[in-house]
Amino acid sequence: MSFDSKKFTVAIGLLIGIISAMLVKFGNPANMGFCIACFIRDTAGALGLHGAKGVQYIRPEIIGLVLGSFAAALFSKEFKARGGSAPMTRFILGFFVMVGALMFLGCPFRMVLRIAGGDLNAVVGLVGFAAGILCGVFFLNKGFSLKRSYTLSACEGTVMPVIQAVFLALLIAAPTFILFTSNYADVKGPGKAHAAIIISLAAGLIVGILAQKSRFCMVGGLRDLILFREARLILGFAAIAAAACAANVAMGSFTLGFENQPVAHTDALWNFLGMLLVGFASVLLGGCPLRQLILSGEGNTDSAVTSLGLLVGAAFCHNFALASSAAGPTPNGKVAVIIGIVVAVAIAFANLSQKQEA
Amino acid sequence: MTYIATFFSHFGALRFRKNCESLGIPAVNMPVPRDLSSSCGTCTRFEADAVPDYTAHRDELEKIVKITESGFETIYETEE
Repeated sequence: MSFDSKKFTVAIGLLIGIISAMLVKFGNPANMGFCIACFIRDTAGALGLHGAKGVQYIRPEIIGLVLGSFAAALFSKEFKARGGSAPMTRFILGFFVMVGALMFLGCPFRMVLRIAGGDLNAVVGLVGFAAGILCGVFFLNKGFSLKRSYTLSACEGTVMPVIQAVFLALLIAAPTFILFTSNYADVKGPGKAHAAIIISLAAGLIVGILAQKSRFCMVGGLRDLILFREARLILGFAAIAAAACAANVAMGSFTLGFENQPVAHTDALWNFLGMLLVGFASVLLGGCPLRQLILSGEGNTDSAVTSLGLLVGAAFCHNFALASSAAGPTPNGKVAVIIGIVVAVAIAFANLSQKQEA
Repeated sequence: MTYIATFFSHFGALRFRKNCESLGIPAVNMPVPRDLSSSCGTCTRFEADAVPDYTAHRDELEKIVKITESGFETIYETEE
């Protein structure tokens, strides 16, 4: 079966949806089988990059995604160390993708899983996400480009997978300088909710391999639908939502509505704007946070730098009260999202080719 | 013959397609086929007897392949 076939993509989507729902059953926070933004945020906390005690845990899912992609790329001889395509700009865009995601409380992957759990706030987020992608597509068609990448040494391309292996060692060894929410008896938070390491790691590895093979990307799905009327990738995400929704209903964890949704708030405007920023910046980057991790596993150092931008962005979000909570967005977070949108527009204009040449 | 050209940017693919059309060559933009690459950019598929000259913006061009019965035959690949 071709990796380009809709059947293959839908089958993979169904499998990923079931895995995501099962991770919640095994201990992950509700509607958070996977969340690239939340999990990188938790990892940043565990490394001491921020001091929010409720969200500190090295998430094995992130490690698995990168190492799964790395293994799949090596196996199929698709591992290519590349880089040099506007790395600092990508770092900044990654930073603001995290600002937008933590305003909404989830990456595009979790947005789909929240919808599958009946969280209607995530539908508002989806509308904002689609609006952001339209903004990005507008600039793509005007000539936006972060310019080409170049072949690098294999050593350079393996740095990100090696870092993930080190994170896994730190998670298992759990030295005292690594911070875990579970070490604080009086603290509650998503950092305490997690599946067993082996289960989370296996889930990450499987999804990492599948995502490398299928090129799963929420941003790419909507972008391809808008630009080419090509529905393959978006069908994959519909399959994730359908499978996760069915599993949630079967396990009694489907609750339709806006109020009292897990790790979510009901401020529609800022759910919309947060995901608008995520969609816009992700189109400029060429992929959603999940896709950035997968590409970093394939040896793409530009995506690795973007992932570092996500990590640092997460630290800033919790050190400077930018991240939302179930109580809603913060004033600082609102300012940061507006700044993020302005910066994304500025980057988009600054990287336009001359349209009249087209 | 059918060819696929891949680029370092979406805009490069748009510009190449317009160049093809100005030469009367049928061309369409589409996602890069997965069997061709694990990258996920935009490519241009075009029907021509030979690959058109494209020196003006060759720096945007990554690769040109010809579609054959057995897969893809590389016609041009940019130098690193």
